[in-house]
Amino acid sequence: MKRIILSVSGVIALILIFSSCYYDNEEALYPSLNQTCDTTNVTFNATIVPLLSDYCYSCHSNTTAASAGNNIRLQDYADVVANAVMIQGSIKHTGSYSPMPKNGGMLPACQISQFDKWISNGMLNN
Amino acid sequence: MKKYSLLAIFIICTAGLFAQDNAGSTAQDTKDEINFTTETFESTRILNGHSIERLDPGQLDFRISHRFGTLNSGAYNFFGLDQSNIHLSLEYGITKWLMTGVGRGNYEKTFDGFTKFSVLRQSTGSRVMPVSVSVVTSAAMNTLKWTDPTRTNYFSSRLSYVGQVLIARKFGDFLSLQVTPSYVHRNLVATELDPNDLYSIGIGGRIKLTNMISLDAEYYYLLNPTKYMSQKVYNPLSLGVDIYTGGHTFQLFFTNSQAMIEKGFIGETTGSWTKGDIRFGFNISRIFVLHYPDQK
Repeated sequence: MKRIILSVSGVIALILIFSSCYYDNEEALYPSLNQTCDTTNVTFNATIVPLLSDYCYSCHSNTTAASAGNNIRLQDYADVVANAVMIQGSIKHTGSYSPMPKNGGMLPACQISQFDKWISNGMLNN
Repeated sequence: MKKYSLLAIFIICTAGLFAQDNAGSTAQDTKDEINFTTETFESTRILNGHSIERLDPGQLDFRISHRFGTLNSGAYNFFGLDQSNIHLSLEYGITKWLMTGVGRGNYEKTFDGFTKFSVLRQSTGSRVMPVSVSVVTSAAMNTLKWTDPTRTNYFSSRLSYVGQVLIARKFGDFLSLQVTPSYVHRNLVATELDPNDLYSIGIGGRIKLTNMISLDAEYYYLLNPTKYMSQKVYNPLSLGVDIYTGGHTFQLFFTNSQAMIEKGFIGETTGSWTKGDIRFGFNISRIFVLHYPDQK
């Protein structure tokens, strides 16, 4: 009898414990606030360079790439164009490219969509 | 990774060579009695993870565990001994087949609790059972301050759960092996690429040298790590000795994991043996008998 009571209460305890399972991740749970996301006036110099400067140049500028950035340069226009697809994969954390920024959360959704917009506009040097 | 897998395969394969079917029985096997195998492991832990052993009813186990810093942190940190991670726990045997325990570790300031049920016991005699099987369920609560108190933080994000099936067999008096399929669920992970559910297989073993001393090894193989997780994790490997002195059991070992709960050492071991991120660790177990089970 004691055994039955214990098993039943054990099963109930297990159900209670496992009923509160969540599948959250910080990227999806806490998307950055982007009420004023401007994807109409996206230019290389006004949008993309500041973005790269904020998130990438600590490792991927012309001076740091060799030591910290696996020799991937993202400072000159030609280099950014050549690496655009890889950058897109890295900042979206799709799994096909090493996720960037390294050891950090994803970029704000607004800036990712600005980068997409710049590519779909034809990667202009403007 | 490959090295570890090879080591695991080596341990499994060579184990077969020692296997003899006289498990735990110095007593004669009479056909009308069930002889249960006892002392498959010295302690309720192999090293980091649970072993098939339970506490007897009425026994209270006070466990003190430490993992020091890494050996490769150098002489300045006295090869890791200047830093210490601590886990304290109180565990109690409720019945012959059920034990429970609560603990607190300074790794992520975690409170944890577990229950362990025996399902099958290895035996000979009138009922022959080749293996012992137990089930462990545990939950852990991280109590670190929120990294960003301004956002909406959920209590559920602090919790993680573990379920393990322990399957062990004692081969003769000196060799015991255990296979431990494990499931770890984290309610909150850092990025979309980190799996909330981790599946792993643990392999552990003990070789008894004398009545007081035995050698232990334990390894967990992570089945579903994704290529790019927010931190690079390694499979935990621990090697050490048990020293048993009556009421105390000392386990002294080297490991590459920092945490002492399943959620931490299975999913968050960031040290690598090959890079020298090896930590010295010990568990001390002191058993108090609170009451003797009713004689029937």
